[in-house]
Formats: sequence, C-alpha cells, structure tokens
Amino acid sequence: MMRTAGIIAVAIASAAFGAATTGWAVHTGRGTGLSPAVLSNTGYDGPAAVPLGDLAGGAVPRGPIEMKNPLGSGPGVIAEGKKMFNAMNCSGCHGYTGGGGMGPPLNDGYWRYGGAPAQVYKSIFEGRPQGMPAWGVALPPEEIWQLTAFVESLGGSVKPGQAYDSRLGDDHEGSTSKAGSPILEGQ
Amino acid sequence: MPHGTFNPAPRKSSGDWTSQAGDFANSRYSELSDINEKNVDQLKVAWTFSDGALYGHEGAPLVQGDTMYVVSPFPNRSYALDLTKPGAPIKWMYSPNPSPMAIGKACCDAVLRGWAIGDGKLVYSLLDAHVVAVDLKTGKEVWRTEMADVSKGVTMTSSAFIADGKVFVGNSGGELGVSGWAAALDLATGKELWRAYSVGDDEHTLIGDRYKPFYPHLKGEDLGLKTWPKGMAQHGAGAVWGFFSYDPETNLIFYGTSNPGPRVPVQRPGDNLFSSAVFARDADTGEAVWAYQFTPHDQWDYDGVNEMMLLDLPINGKMRKTIVHFDRNTYAYVLDRETGEVLKADNFAYQNWSTGFDYETGRPIVDPAMEPKPEKTLDRICPPDIGQKDWEPPAYSPQTGLVYLGAFNICMKLTNHKVSYIAGTPYDGMEMERFSVDGPDGDWGQFIAWDPIEGHAAWRIPEKFMVMSGALATAGHLVFYGTSDGWFRAVDARNGKVLWQQKLSSGIIGQPMTYRGPDGVQYIAIASGVGGAAGVQAGRDGYPPRGSTLYVFSLNGKQVEGTHSSAAHPEGEAPQQGAPGSRG
Ligand code: HEC
Repeated sequence: MMRTAGIIAVAIASAAFGAATTGWAVHTGRGTGLSPAVLSNTGYDGPAAVPLGDLAGGAVPRGPIEMKNPLGSGPGVIAEGKKMFNAMNCSGCHGYTGGGGMGPPLNDGYWRYGGAPAQVYKSIFEGRPQGMPAWGVALPPEEIWQLTAFVESLGGSVKPGQAYDSRLGDDHEGSTSKAGSPILEGQ
Repeated sequence: MPHGTFNPAPRKSSGDWTSQAGDFANSRYSELSDINEKNVDQLKVAWTFSDGALYGHEGAPLVQGDTMYVVSPFPNRSYALDLTKPGAPIKWMYSPNPSPMAIGKACCDAVLRGWAIGDGKLVYSLLDAHVVAVDLKTGKEVWRTEMADVSKGVTMTSSAFIADGKVFVGNSGGELGVSGWAAALDLATGKELWRAYSVGDDEHTLIGDRYKPFYPHLKGEDLGLKTWPKGMAQHGAGAVWGFFSYDPETNLIFYGTSNPGPRVPVQRPGDNLFSSAVFARDADTGEAVWAYQFTPHDQWDYDGVNEMMLLDLPINGKMRKTIVHFDRNTYAYVLDRETGEVLKADNFAYQNWSTGFDYETGRPIVDPAMEPKPEKTLDRICPPDIGQKDWEPPAYSPQTGLVYLGAFNICMKLTNHKVSYIAGTPYDGMEMERFSVDGPDGDWGQFIAWDPIEGHAAWRIPEKFMVMSGALATAGHLVFYGTSDGWFRAVDARNGKVLWQQKLSSGIIGQPMTYRGPDGVQYIAIASGVGGAAGVQAGRDGYPPRGSTLYVFSLNGKQVEGTHSSAAHPEGEAPQQGAPGSRG
C-alpha cells in the first residue's frame, strides 16, 4: 500500500537518464498510499478545487482559479520546466517548442481547458481524456509548477486574473488550430 | 520485352471492390474500362457523402453488390450506402465508440487506412486497439476483440486484411515504444489464432524450423533479442501499420515492420531485428518462413511498413515470383518472394543517406556523415523520417508493366535528443524540420511511373505538394491519384499526360477505387480529407483545411435515377403507380 506512489516515481526517475532527476523523492502520505502531491490537491484549497466547467447557477468562479504560479516565472524556473518538458516526453506529443503534434499546441493562446497557471497545472496534474496522461501521481507539485511556468512561457499564456474571461473567449485573439488539427511533429 | 503479371485472386466480379487493394497481390488494378483515356474528360461528380470526422481520410470505400461500405477515421463509425438509390442514402450506421484516449496516443493523426469485407462482415480496427466485425446487412456488431491496452500507447490504424477465413491485423505505436506485432483472428468469431512479434526471442517472433532467410546475417537463434542491447528489445517497436498481401499458392502473407524504438539510434546499437523489415509468414500458423531487413539499425525512422506488391516479373530474362516494395528509405526493391533474396535495389527518388547497395550482403551502404548523434544537428538528410514515399499504396498496370506511386521530394534537418521510456508517451527524440530537396520554393511531391524490371522511372509528374494518396490503375489506360492540396487527377498510364483533374474541398490522402454500380455504370471514388503525415506541410501556403467528403464520379455525373422519398408526394394524396420519379 504505502509504496505505490513511490514505486511509480522511482520507475519514471530511473528511466529519465540524462535528464535532471534531482528532487525526485516522493513521500507517501501517511496511511493513504498517496503522495502529498495528490493529497494537497484533493483538498479544497489546491488547484483541484478549480472547476473545469462553468459554475452551475451562473456564479463566477474566483479564488484558486486566479492563483499565481507559486514559483513565479523567472528564467531559472522556466529552464527547469523545459528540462522536465523534454525528460517527461511532453515534447514528443506537444512539440519541442510547444507547436503541437499528437497533442494540441501549447503556444497559441487557444486553450481547451484554460491557460491561466492554475488551469495549466490542473491539466498536467489530472490528465485530460483525449490522451493527455495524468502526472499528479508521478510528479511532486514543485515540478508540475515548473512545467506550468515553461508552458506559460511558450507564447499562449493567460494571466491569472483573466482565467475566467479567457474561458469565455473574450480576451485572446484565439485561433482554431486546436479544433482537431494537430500539426504533425513526428511519424 | 514481356511485362509482368499478377494473380488477381480473389477478385470474382470486376464490378466489386471488396478489399483496399482490390486483390491479395496489392495491385490496385481494375479491369473496368468504360471510363477511359478517350472520355475521361467528361468525368463529373455523381454524388458525395460526408462522415463529418475531421481526421485524415486514408481508406478506400468498398463495394459489394448494391452497397458501399465506408468507415470514418476516429470515432471509426461505419456506414452502408445504398447504391440503388440516387444520392446513395445511408442504410445503416454503426458507432463502435472507441476510447477518446486513443486520439492522443496516435502518433500521426487519428486515421484509419482501410477496412475489409468477407463472409458477410465488415471488419476493421479501432484506434483504441480493438477489432470489430459488423454484419453487412444489419449493421449490428458481430464480434469485438481487444488486442492491446491503448493507455500503453498501442493504437491500430492499418487496414484489416481478409484471406482464407482469417483477419490479419497489426498495431501502430512505433513512436511510443510498443512491442510491434501482427495477428490473425478467426473471421467467424474474432478469436485470436496467432500473434507474431517483430522484436523479441524466437518464441515471440514465431521463428522456428521453417525459418530460412536468404542472408547469413539474418540466420541464428533469438536474433530479435540479440541484435539489441540488453533490456532494449522490449520497447523496440517494429509495429505493423502498413498493408498485408497474400500469396494463395504458397499460403504466405507478407507485411513490413516499423522503425525500432527509441528513434534515437545511439540508445540501441545493433541491427535491431526485426524492425524496418519484411516478414513472410505462414497464414495458418504465423510461423516465419523468411525475413529481410531493409534498413538495418534504422537511424532515421524509415520503417519498412510500405506495401509488398506480389508481381511476377522477368528479371534478367527469367520469370521470377517477386515482391515489389518502395521503401521509405528510397530504395525500390524487387525481392524473390519465395526466398527473400534482393534481386534489385534502385533509388526511385533523391536520397543522400546511402552511397549504394551491397548485393553480396543484401545491405545498403550507409554514409557515416548522415548518422545522427545526440544534440548534434544534421542540416540536410534526405529523405526525412517519412521517406520519399510513405504508406500510400501504388498501383500496377499489366497493360504498361509500370508501377504508379505517389511520392515526395523532401529532406529534413535533424537533432536527436536521448529519451527515456515512459509508458503511453512518445519514445521518440527526433526534432525535425522538413523542406523540399530543391530549396525554399521547391516541390514537395511527385508522381512516378516506375519500370520495375529496368529499375528506373518511365516518367514523373512534379507536384508542389506531397502525393500521399494511393494510386488506381484501370484497363481504360488510366491512372488516378490525388495531391495533398486537393487535386484529383486522371493521367494517361502510358505517358503521364494529365487528361482530367478537379480540385476537391480538402486535400487527398485516401485511396482511389472504382466499381460498377447496380445500374451498370462505372464509378470512381476518392475521399477528400487531409491529415496524417501530410500535416508536415501545414505551415505552407496552399495547404488545405481538413475535410470529410467522399466524392464519387461518373461520366457526365450520371447516377441512379428516380426518387426514394415518399415525402415527394403531397400529403393525403396516394402515390400514383408508375408516376415519373417513383421508381426508387
Ligand atoms: C501521449 C501524448 C502526450 C503527452 C506525453 C503529454 N501530453 Fe499534454 N496533451 C495531450 C493531449 C492529446 C491533450 C489534449 C487532451 C484533451 O483535450 O482531452 C493534451 C493536453 C495538454 C494540456 C491542456 C491544453 C489545453 O488546451 O487546455 C496541457 C497544458 C498539457 N497537455 C501539457 C503537457 C505537459 C506539461 C506534458 C508533460 C508533463 C504533457 N502535456 C504530456 C497529449 C500529451
């Protein structure tokens, strides 16, 4: 029981040779078999509390959806995120510069699930149904925030305070390139 | 000089088209000649059909009797269209509801390269690694077989192939470090009869007593394991995503295998058998009879999946039973299909990775300057990963003795990055930019008529965009093909003169076919719906948006007459017997 999350993390870490694998230690939450990464995000305050859809009853979602990346967006964080982006094979699906491929582009300001930091974090953490793996069990929050910072640096970032407006299509020029049109990165 | 021939089995009626290639030999040749070089300029749209799925449309519709069968790319819905009625209305639609997860696991668009008909069933693979059989009459599912776990990166995009009461299928996922395999299922029940892995020990590759390859380096125990560094074979790919062919005389099936995984070669020193290779296997047992590797230790993702055409050709004055194969690595091979010996290996387009072919060893000679090293950019390797010809199948005309193929004219800039295996993610590592062989304004495509006996092109048509459609040859001295920017062309099979063309709504990466309808009229059909690997051109001006339309053409657009709608009659008034338009 206790070891599940740890084993997954170790398996991935040992596979990720040649990449930055420091900070891989993932501890399991007491008695749950889940890592703090999972636990902290199933609580009400973490990004998991951010709704994926609009709020029933027409309320405007506020709060966690507007949270900033706790690691900021400095060059050091982005560089770490870039290393992770390649080490975790994100680049294989989204392209080395985020231009899209098997997965949608991440650099074009058009988001299926939102482009504000908390929304991007959630996509990485939870995975998405059309083939986006969930990384929340394998990666600690710090590394997901690094990945988030890198994704935000690719050109399509949405400011935390605009998370809601952008979901209504009101803040970005937008593009339709994600409407089922992956640009082939590899075959 | 006599031409080659081929066995047209199992074709019985020249009017039907019941498999992707029209026959076991992969000829894509039709005896129909009502539409011919004299009247093809009168070709017009008879009717169209849209399946509404906006992924690449790579399959050919099939026709048996009075019905056409079409399967969409993901979500892999199938449709039966009634050819006895004007506009070919839908008889039934079947929705298999494959897992949406499969979309993001498909390396190169959520495509399907075809489907098959046999024993009253329509059989095809689903993107989420299942195979289904649907009753031709009712559209009800007869069986469904799970082949693999899509969450591990296994998808299925190639066409099911039916021969001798069995369904042959293979997997995709060569970019995600899957284990590649081909499998045979019982056509009646969907039960798996055998599965042969491309990489692994002899037990998994079904290599035993009957295995007699031509070349010494392909002989030995467990080569599918020993030609890999320790621990690397299990994610070594060799996926099976191209077409099958079948020789009823010897009961052998033939198919190619994909690139090795990962795509970064320094991580897997060795020949990496049996990736980028061809297998000849017993159709009943799956036992390997011979194998040949086109690109040993494939360093550029060339794969070996392109089709094997079973032609009988006079080579050096002697009739030989051959396989004609245009590899992504740009060699046009003629192999002896009984032994796997290379009879000919000629370049059908421009390449710069190989300086020649060694007939003694059966191996291409590699230019060391073109071998990629991690984090060192190579500015111009030709062809790129997808080859100078990808999976798009050629056609053979016994009238001219020529093979007609859609091809490319491209190169890549390549930087390799070492990768680690994480299940369900790309095991890839190739960062690429593709461009024309001829510079920024150069053409990306071409259509080639190839003389397989002489080993050179009879003629070529340069094309601005990649030709990623299949070809169709007919007894009307015609060859049909489409371009990825949407031109559908009919050319004179003898000299390549364009006799007719029409621009369709989206780009063409499907396979043209022809049939005689229940009304006795010859039709030509092609899907328009760009995607797949043609997407590497997405940044070029003139690359079309996606589409989902099947076009069916006939002379002057003639189609079945009459109306099939009872609503044409005013309410309350009894339809009159024999009134005009009541025939349908
Ligand atoms: C196997 C391919 C694959 C891998 C590996 C992958 N992704 Fe994705 N990703 C997808 C697909 C496909 C989607 C779209 C899923 C959907 O819409 O259901 C997606 C969606 C996303 C989104 C949401 C995009 C939007 O428009 O809202 C983000 C952000 C993202 N991925 C980031 C990443 C990061 C960071 C990694 C590496 C840790 C990664 N992905 C790894 C395939 C992949």
